[in-house]
Amino acid sequence: MNRFNWATAFKIAWREARSSPGKFLFVVLAVALGVGSLTGVRGFSQAFASMLHREARSMMAADLSLRIFGPPSPSQLATLDHVRRQGAATTQVTETLSMVSSSAVPEPLLISIKAVDPAFFPFYGEVKLNPAGRLKDQLGAGSVVVSDDVPLRLKVSVGEQVLVGGQSFRIAAIVVTEPDRMSGSMNVGPRVMMSREGLERTGLIRLGSRAAQRFLFRIRPAGPDITSIKTELKHAFPEATILDFTETNPNIQQGLDRATTFLSLVSLIALIVGALGVATAMHAHLQQKMDSIAVMKSLGATTGQIVRIYATQTVLLGFAGGLLGILIGAAVERVLPVLISRFFQVQPEMTWHPMVALQGLAAGVLTTLLFTLPPLLSIRHIRPGVILRRDMAETRPGWRVRLRRSQSALALGFFILLGIAAIASWLVSGSWRDSLRIGGSFVGGLVVSLVVLAAAAWLLLKGLRLFVTLTPWKLPPPLRHGIANIYRPGSQAQSVLTALGVGVMFTLTIYLIQHSVLGEIRRSSPPNMANVFFLDITEKQQAELLQLISQAPGVEGSAQSLRTVASKIVSVNGVPVDQLQLTGIARRYRGVRALTTVEKRPEGTEILEGTWWSASPRAAAVSVSDNASKLLKVHPGSVIEWTAFGRTIRASVTSVHKSDPNRLVGFVDFILSPGALDQLPSVYYAAIRVEPQFVGALQRASYERFPTVTVVNVADILARVQEIVDQIAIVIRFISLFTILAGAIILASSVAGTRFRRVREVVILKTLGATRGYIARIFSAEFLILGTVAGVMGSMLASLFSAMVLKRFFKADFHFDPWPNLACILLTALVAVTAGWLASFRILGQKPLEVLRNE
Amino acid sequence: MIDVRGLTKVIDTGTHRVEILKGIDLHIPAGQFTAILGSSGSGKSTLLGLIAGLDSPTSGEIRLDGEEITGLAEDRLALLRGRKVGFVFQSYQLIPTLTAEENVLLPYELVGANGGSGTARARELLQQVGLADRMDHYPVQLSGGEQQRVALARAFMVKPAILLADEPTGNLDSANGRHVLDLLIRLNLEQGTTLVLVTHDQQLASHANRRITLQDGRIVGDELR
Repeated sequence: MNRFNWATAFKIAWREARSSPGKFLFVVLAVALGVGSLTGVRGFSQAFASMLHREARSMMAADLSLRIFGPPSPSQLATLDHVRRQGAATTQVTETLSMVSSSAVPEPLLISIKAVDPAFFPFYGEVKLNPAGRLKDQLGAGSVVVSDDVPLRLKVSVGEQVLVGGQSFRIAAIVVTEPDRMSGSMNVGPRVMMSREGLERTGLIRLGSRAAQRFLFRIRPAGPDITSIKTELKHAFPEATILDFTETNPNIQQGLDRATTFLSLVSLIALIVGALGVATAMHAHLQQKMDSIAVMKSLGATTGQIVRIYATQTVLLGFAGGLLGILIGAAVERVLPVLISRFFQVQPEMTWHPMVALQGLAAGVLTTLLFTLPPLLSIRHIRPGVILRRDMAETRPGWRVRLRRSQSALALGFFILLGIAAIASWLVSGSWRDSLRIGGSFVGGLVVSLVVLAAAAWLLLKGLRLFVTLTPWKLPPPLRHGIANIYRPGSQAQSVLTALGVGVMFTLTIYLIQHSVLGEIRRSSPPNMANVFFLDITEKQQAELLQLISQAPGVEGSAQSLRTVASKIVSVNGVPVDQLQLTGIARRYRGVRALTTVEKRPEGTEILEGTWWSASPRAAAVSVSDNASKLLKVHPGSVIEWTAFGRTIRASVTSVHKSDPNRLVGFVDFILSPGALDQLPSVYYAAIRVEPQFVGALQRASYERFPTVTVVNVADILARVQEIVDQIAIVIRFISLFTILAGAIILASSVAGTRFRRVREVVILKTLGATRGYIARIFSAEFLILGTVAGVMGSMLASLFSAMVLKRFFKADFHFDPWPNLACILLTALVAVTAGWLASFRILGQKPLEVLRNE
Repeated sequence: MIDVRGLTKVIDTGTHRVEILKGIDLHIPAGQFTAILGSSGSGKSTLLGLIAGLDSPTSGEIRLDGEEITGLAEDRLALLRGRKVGFVFQSYQLIPTLTAEENVLLPYELVGANGGSGTARARELLQQVGLADRMDHYPVQLSGGEQQRVALARAFMVKPAILLADEPTGNLDSANGRHVLDLLIRLNLEQGTTLVLVTHDQQLASHANRRITLQDGRIVGDELR
């Protein structure tokens, strides 16, 4: 007996697993799916990160980049000159929003403009064009290169003319890739790249226009080092974002980390579903092996030895699943860049990541083993006498025994949760505190979902059974028989429903949230809210444009108009702005901000602190938005000083307000008393509510008269938001689909696990005269019901979860939409029927005598 | 009623070839109670299975009620069984997911009938086999003898012309076995069924009108009483 070691256990375990390959094939697949999505996500993330690092210079198109909003001040220009004199090459990139149109489609299209100097841009990397050519040769004062959707939307082709800012430009080529796209300010929607002369020609950039300026630097190797230049720039541009190529863009890095963590945890759910599958399969397997285990025990095998055999078998299964999963992961890694190619034209180098593979394998084996602990430990309770007592009724153990057993089960459950939390924490990137927090919440959420799902499955199964017993209708026999199959001994219906339900719930939740958020934006525009906005209106254009708007057809109410003056804060309560502690988003107050004046308190504006100024205050007074008040720490009594076009404006804060976000004035943080901004050059904004069918006409009319005024239709903004949300959602859905697949495989596995019983029944039914069609109907009814119930459960919980998430994180109301739920239920039913039949179609052809003879 | 000509069955297991039936010729007239005797491995159960169309013979032909069944497609065979043939197994073979009553009702539903008259007959049959109070029980809740009585009720549900029984008392103790046999004979007499019973028990076979003995896949004895 002492000779019984792991090697022997391995030998027996292998022999056993080999003898029932069908039963285990499915669970191996289920684990493989979980490990596959995990290694795929993490592999891609690693490849992406190393690409960010490797191609850092081309991602930035420079050694150093500086971004500000608004034009640089004279002293800042002097600093730039100084840096240039030290031998650094610089080039300026301007990004803004505008409109483009063509003769084929007079309705203007909202675009992002990026103006570069093709003689220098990009310092690193390459702008790939179609037809192939050099940017330098293609981009002149009269030509542009555009993203592929521009010609499509404007029905023009390369070589034809388009209008930007009223000026005609020839489309020279389509941009296939541009190196610094991820570093840019606006990388969604149709895009136009033009030369700086071209931008000049359009007249789009004027004092006070909203545009992002990026200065790119190439540092000479022999010249001053990058750090000293950076320090100098930081000093001169306190409001700017300054990055050198060695630090990957913190936004990108942070986004990547978060996405990796999130998708890893979604993968972990798939892995857990797979592990649950292994556990249920192992449980059924052990149930079938009860006799042989009892025989082994009566032959002298100890519980430890037997546990060792089946633990080895579990590890083997987890390991096989893990290995297969690594292969699936390689495929996932290749699919991910395709899914996000709309925004991130990344081709990370596909390499073998041994650490990622190892991590996936370990997560696969550990998760599998954790979930299989309960059936493995139940081996202890199998008594050798079971062979003799087979026909005796099972005696119910006393409450002491039951309590003791449930105690150990609870302890075991707790241990499993701890293990899963540890694995989840391990997959989270960030500090250990973050890891613990996220790992803990993950397990908490998982437990709640699983418990709710299991309870729902139990209830539904119970209810269905009750319905069948109590129904006054005569159900068709195959249906009744199919339902009876769900309650067969060892049918695992509840775990199948839970597994499938998790997947459905998760995938549908993502879908519902995605659509609710977009729907909420659409709905939240109240009937009187403006749906067309006019940006960058000059003083001269303003009166005429307002008149044009008021005479346009379909206009509801009168236009809102807002005069703004671009300015910079000089000091707050006498403290110069560069000495203020402004971090994170508060840094924007170092840059150009808009000021406005109003006669009286605008409609929908709520006073939170202080009082609105009296009719004509002697000294300039200002009301500050709640956001600015919080970030700048100003309250009634504080004094703020701005500079605008060489003039200093000083005003004391009299109130803090909260604006109706649906009104134009809500876009400005500082509302000054009348007269404070007189005679300063200003930019106007306007907004109007137009019946949707007249929006195009108004856009066209405005664009014809005022080509430099950007007209933004709310529908356009929505389209962009939707594009981003869709892109994110597609990746999440892709990964969460693995969970549904794993659930379907569990269903197949449970069907395969009851194969012997099914074969026997098919044979009896055939003997009694059942045709194959009849048996097929029974099985289909069974799978269909399982799938439908899982779908109903998953979609109910998805609606519940979405409502909670929307309420909690988006402060939005959930509106129940029956169609996605119905579609989801139908699809789940289809998936279940397919999976069930894949595991049982061979049973149908079974010849009765072959089976009966073996009895 | 049952005609068997030149019936052989060979099983090829890949490694070796086993001749189970080596040419059986047999005629069983309607209403006869025939016992097929033979030791284990003599081929008697295979013969019964082939008569029921549960498998196809290697050669030879079988006619039930004048209808040739050897060339029939699987589903045609199933339909034929549903109408004409009842089957009782040694190990009862009830469907574990259905109650006693539902098990009895099953053949009736399979021939396409559905409705109250079936339920009434199923209950009557269960009453006849002494299980009136166990109709709602599942097979696991019944003893072996009770399960076999449910199987008998099931076999008689559609009033089959032919009833085939494969060691129907083989798994039962003598008291239960006796009870089941009595039921079988009584139902047979009442319904005028052609009964073919396979057994290795001489005692059991002694109740039959005719005894056919099988050995090594051949008929070695055929005596009428």
